[in-house]
Amino acid sequence: MNVVVCVKQIPDPATPGEMDSQTNTLKRDGKLIMDDSDSYGVEMGLQLAEQAGGGEVTLVSMAQDGETSGLRTALAMGAAKAILVSDPALKGSDALSTAKALSKAISRANPDLILMATESTDGYTGTTPVQVAELLGLPSVTFAKKITVDGSSIKVERQTEAGYDEVTCPLPAVVTVTAGVVEPRYPNFKGIMDAKKKPVEELTVSDLGLDVSEVGSSGSRQEVFEIVAADARQAGEKVVDEGEAHQKVIEFFEQLKLI
Amino acid sequence: MFEWSEEQLMIKEAVAKFVESEIQPKRDELEHGDLPPYDVIRTLARTFGIDALGRESFKRRIEREKKKEDVAGESEGDPFLGSPKEGGDGGAAAMTLIPIIELSKVCPGIVTAMGVSVGLAAGTIMSKGTIAQKERWGLDLLTFDKIGAWAITEPNSGSDALGGMNSTAKRDGDEYILNGNKTFITNGPYADTIVFYAKLDDGSGTNPRNRKVLTFILDKGMEGLVQSKPFRKMGLHSSPTGELFLSDVRVGKDRLLGETEDETGGTGRDSAKDNFVTERAGVAAMSLGVIEECLRLSVEYAKSRLLWEKPIGDFQLIQLKLAKMEVARLNVQNLVFRHIEMQKAGRRLTLAEASAMKLYSAQAASEVAMEAVQLFGGNGYMSEYRVEQLARDAKVFQIYAGTDEIQVTHIARDLLKE
Repeated sequence: MNVVVCVKQIPDPATPGEMDSQTNTLKRDGKLIMDDSDSYGVEMGLQLAEQAGGGEVTLVSMAQDGETSGLRTALAMGAAKAILVSDPALKGSDALSTAKALSKAISRANPDLILMATESTDGYTGTTPVQVAELLGLPSVTFAKKITVDGSSIKVERQTEAGYDEVTCPLPAVVTVTAGVVEPRYPNFKGIMDAKKKPVEELTVSDLGLDVSEVGSSGSRQEVFEIVAADARQAGEKVVDEGEAHQKVIEFFEQLKLI
Repeated sequence: MFEWSEEQLMIKEAVAKFVESEIQPKRDELEHGDLPPYDVIRTLARTFGIDALGRESFKRRIEREKKKEDVAGESEGDPFLGSPKEGGDGGAAAMTLIPIIELSKVCPGIVTAMGVSVGLAAGTIMSKGTIAQKERWGLDLLTFDKIGAWAITEPNSGSDALGGMNSTAKRDGDEYILNGNKTFITNGPYADTIVFYAKLDDGSGTNPRNRKVLTFILDKGMEGLVQSKPFRKMGLHSSPTGELFLSDVRVGKDRLLGETEDETGGTGRDSAKDNFVTERAGVAAMSLGVIEECLRLSVEYAKSRLLWEKPIGDFQLIQLKLAKMEVARLNVQNLVFRHIEMQKAGRRLTLAEASAMKLYSAQAASEVAMEAVQLFGGNGYMSEYRVEQLARDAKVFQIYAGTDEIQVTHIARDLLKE
């Protein structure tokens, strides 16, 4: 079972992000880390490869400047190798041009299964995975909370608002996994020390057979016209309890339709 | 200049995350609920593969020893990984010290319990034991399947541990009969394996102070061995400390470390002194963890605590406290980094150097933590704000692994030697 897991490297959410006033997009020139929401896909990929008794996890990522810090974390967790599409031409990519680059890179790994997060923590479009599936001509299943491999197909429990659907899908396929469905392992010390020795194949846009006009800001159909700061959060209502505060709490819950 | 490498920073982040999600929520139980730390230690060892690394390094070492290769120059001083390597990035030392620093930010007691078990108990057996003894006791300690204690201190001989030792080992045919009391023994109440020091009483009338010190390896549950309940202490509650009582404990030569009474083979006094260096470097790393955390918490508090409608960080007396904490952090970090650089160069600290490092770091940690309590005011006195725990824990750094006063004598002896 060879699994590709797409890993997005993002600015550390723990430090305040900065916006580029020229492009109205997030600045990505500092150290990047693995998007936490991708750690679930990495964990699930590793578990599926282990359960299958063979195969490996290959990471696929994209960066404009050869950044690998986030990939090293996933390699330390146990992924075998990584493909990094790195090209300044990728700057300003929207979801579709990202999907174009990723799908070309994924096809080089010839995987049985492609895992992606439902959405990234910095962009939140949630559209890239299905675009990748479409470009690869593969079926996709979204919001997986459990994946079981059954020969040449997979059974997926797909999270819904009411519960979950059971979906059977032939392989290869693209599956997005929700956060919290598996407990991502800590990279162990040996894994961390070995991560640097693991191969990271760095490819440019032209290595993938794409034209620079198809990716980055020139290939994007999306443009950000304006960014504005979010309104400051309003202070909450203070209730002084003179024996009637519980009524206020009940009214508040009723207003939210919680009771 | 030494800086943490990319891998070392990854280890630091991974351990910090483990501390936050696995240890921080259990802090109250570890501190006040008498929760022994051993399940947490085993989870830590399994999570980061410390047990597997211990097993691998043990296997390699025993294979080499069986082939009679020369391993005399190697030390098993590193609590987690074994011997320091010459060259490289000081990786072995850093891999040991980074978890110590990160754990000490929240729970220094866990470091003490771990360090004594693997650094002192396993370290002594792996350094001076026979191959059979290493296989019988060493491996299980390196993997944390078993917990070890290192028993040298007695009720009447703390700083004078070797000279003033009253525990005795009497020959009886091919066996020895052990008697004595030990106190302040980390892991004593729960230890599965105990490295026990005693004076050889051969009936020759030699002055007890000058008698040979022999080292024995004992198992929990042996006839005549009693392990006390944990003491109530000022701090370091997550590290169980207790007493051991030995009454006519009969042991064969197989439990005599190195299976020799010959002190020149490195057992007894030398074995104890070797451990002093390892212990003292470890305490410096613990001090760094406490200082870094107290400073972080203090800066955060100084920015957010308002008095007279201003953050208290605007007041110069608060700024002075923060500045002094930063100076201490830089100094102790430099000492820890120097130790790593020396390991990188294949050098070990001398006893005097290790003592100087420990003396300064322990005092700095204690002062910084007490100043953090002061900076937090009334809140600092409350356990919720954590600095009072770190202050109580840090105080022991000036007492165990050799008191401040003993460190001074070791430094002075080296300076004044002819």
